[in-house]
Amino acid sequence: MTRKLFASAAVLALLGGAAAAQDLKFAPGEDARFHWDSYEALKSVDLKGQTLTVLGPWLGPDKDLVESVIAYFEAATGATVNYSGSNSFEQQIVIDAEAGSPPDVAVFPQPGLAADLAAKGFLRPLGDDTAKWLTDNYAAGESWADLGTYPGKDGAKALYAFPYKADVKSLVWFVPENFEDAGYEVPETLEDLKALTEQIVADGGVPWCIGLGSGAATGWPATDWVEDLMLRINTPADYDAWVKNELKFDDPKVVAAIDEFGWFARNDAFVAGGAGAVASTDFRDSPKGLFASPPQCFMHHQASFIPSFFPEGTVIGQDADFFYFPAYASKDLGQPVLGAGTMFAVMSDNPAAKAFIDFLKTPIAHEVWMAQTGFVTPYKGVNTEVYGDVTLKKMGEILLGASTFRFDGSDLMPGAVGAGIFWTGMIDYTGGKEAAAVGAEIQKTWDTIK
Amino acid sequence: MDNIAGTKSSLVWAVHMATAALVLLWVLPTLGLLVSSFRDADQIAASGWWRAVFSSEQNIVYRAADVQTQVQQGDLWVLQGNVFDGGKGEVQSFGITSRAPSDFAPGTAAPMKDGMAAQVEVNGDYRITAPKAFEGRSPRLFVTSLTPPRFTLANYSKVLFAEGIGRAFLNTMTVTIPATVIPILIAAFAAYALAWMEFPGRALLIAAIVGLLVVPLQLSLIPLLRLHNSIGIGKEYLGIWLAHSGFGLPLAIYLLRNYMAGLPREIIESARVDGATDFQIFLKIILPLSFPALASFAIFQFLWTWNDLLVATVFLGNTQDQLVMTGVLRELMGSKGGEWEILATSAFVSIAVPLVVFFAMQKYLVRGLLAGSVK
Repeated sequence: MTRKLFASAAVLALLGGAAAAQDLKFAPGEDARFHWDSYEALKSVDLKGQTLTVLGPWLGPDKDLVESVIAYFEAATGATVNYSGSNSFEQQIVIDAEAGSPPDVAVFPQPGLAADLAAKGFLRPLGDDTAKWLTDNYAAGESWADLGTYPGKDGAKALYAFPYKADVKSLVWFVPENFEDAGYEVPETLEDLKALTEQIVADGGVPWCIGLGSGAATGWPATDWVEDLMLRINTPADYDAWVKNELKFDDPKVVAAIDEFGWFARNDAFVAGGAGAVASTDFRDSPKGLFASPPQCFMHHQASFIPSFFPEGTVIGQDADFFYFPAYASKDLGQPVLGAGTMFAVMSDNPAAKAFIDFLKTPIAHEVWMAQTGFVTPYKGVNTEVYGDVTLKKMGEILLGASTFRFDGSDLMPGAVGAGIFWTGMIDYTGGKEAAAVGAEIQKTWDTIK
Repeated sequence: MDNIAGTKSSLVWAVHMATAALVLLWVLPTLGLLVSSFRDADQIAASGWWRAVFSSEQNIVYRAADVQTQVQQGDLWVLQGNVFDGGKGEVQSFGITSRAPSDFAPGTAAPMKDGMAAQVEVNGDYRITAPKAFEGRSPRLFVTSLTPPRFTLANYSKVLFAEGIGRAFLNTMTVTIPATVIPILIAAFAAYALAWMEFPGRALLIAAIVGLLVVPLQLSLIPLLRLHNSIGIGKEYLGIWLAHSGFGLPLAIYLLRNYMAGLPREIIESARVDGATDFQIFLKIILPLSFPALASFAIFQFLWTWNDLLVATVFLGNTQDQLVMTGVLRELMGSKGGEWEILATSAFVSIAVPLVVFFAMQKYLVRGLLAGSVK
């Protein structure tokens, strides 16, 4: 019996070993577009026999992608990296940290949680050199470095999280051929976008598909709309003040942004299914209206991840495409980009963890994922020719061309607001409640948690 | 009095209807889940499962074959193929722009820009002609068709042959079996003591155990894991066995004690008179008589640990070597969720083993061990 057990354990161990020895996606040195010199340089770091655990929010295909990047770190340094994903990451990382068994590196999907853990002393500072590196090497670098800078347990501000992998949120998705059939042009300014919206209605079509449904998180797509519009009618300084609640939620500037969203979402003629369907349509089903025959709508505002919910076989760039959610020509606010990103933080004293963060500063760590799917980076040192498809390249260019980059505000607000009353408040708003009343209600909640 | 047995209460119909309604209430969603597990994601998004068995009218946007496949016939360039791509259907009308997707009857020629023309037959064969070679992307066709029902096994092959599912099955078994056996062992002893042994504070102890039933386990996740880490168990199987046992014990003891307390006093007393020790009474009399209760608790505990994801992710960790089946199924769902077809299929795959366990234990539940033991 014991022998049998050992034998099966041995077989399992072998299977596990085979799975870990993943081939490198792109053979080093072959494709001249990659910065292979940065990969070769990495070989000077010797971490043979060391193990590193990484916990992140990516599962399924995303997990395969991040593992394909990690494989280069393993191959160059000799370290073994165990990545595990969890879709209840937010809960799990807190439990693990509090219980004293944190992973070496954690990948935070939003900075708010990282800031909480930094304040409790669970994160290790990454050092001023890393902060300087971000400022120098990322487009809108100050904005990115600020995202990872929080007060630690001693109250002193330091860089605790390294942003890697960005998502662009200021995108409008459309079907180019439907635009051609109807003779519409891609709008360059927000004024044009509004004119186009009215034009489509005049032609008997429906301009927008908007869906806020997302189970317990229903309402969040509306927060992206409001944040995008906030950046288009107010200054970035106002946006920062709003996120910190120095600018109150019921301030006329914020109420104006909410009403701006209402211009699109609260008009029965502008939204597929009428304004009443906005809150009840699932955000994952909502873009499917673009591809219906006849089209249920012409445009859909959503972040860069949404193609995974397009019908099977949809080719981005041919069957569907996107344009930058434009800014007002009449307001001098530049080209603001709203986005999100994941933040890598070190949670143990394992030297391999620090080496892993250094690995993320190499162009090759970005290029390997860029050459596949679903990855854009604000890193200026990469070769944008590497992008796996034209769509990613276009998104990457939006990100590099941003005059202002601002992180998804609801992720930066305290949880009770950004992942609570802001969501439900927006549902109330689409249901017909006045913007000022919604703003006042959200502000009331914010006041109680101060 | 004597015709009571023969009279049917007029309420019997109400009982039957209530039963039927309850059965329907439980079976309908399950049926829906079963039907959905045989449909692909786009079908699930397009129509409800109750329409799966009927032919449905569908509006298809079809992109004609790649321009690489064009052939020259006389002075015309031709793209051809079938809009159903090997599937079956019946074209009712077609169109060439999204503005008018059903303007033409099948078999008629639809003029397009630049002297091009498109024609779609009833069986789905299409032919697009142009005076000069096609370039860039191929044109789209809009087809309204009557499509017969279509079912797929792709979801099942995706779930059953997912990477690491075999390993995960073993892991789940490694968690589930000890996590079922350990609490039953402990609870049976405890229940006997609480039911049949006199000692001071017994009532208080029972009250405390009933009290423990209402403590939510989420409350103890962090302290327990901290304890495991500090005494060196860490995230291993031993830890999760202990955790599951602990979480299951209050209910197990409560259930078994109530059952054992209901056993006829006469049997136990006569055994005592015959000189049996407590341990002998427990082993030879109580345990065999309590089999139905043991079996029903075993089913409870097995199902709960089998379906559990929370305790497993907290106490066992997330690496590929330690992932339980629910963990792998969750991974299949992707980072953002919403894959209903995977959800429905996983539900049926993960139901399989608990069903086997249930039917295997079922006979112990109905055997009625007590019959004839008294008198």
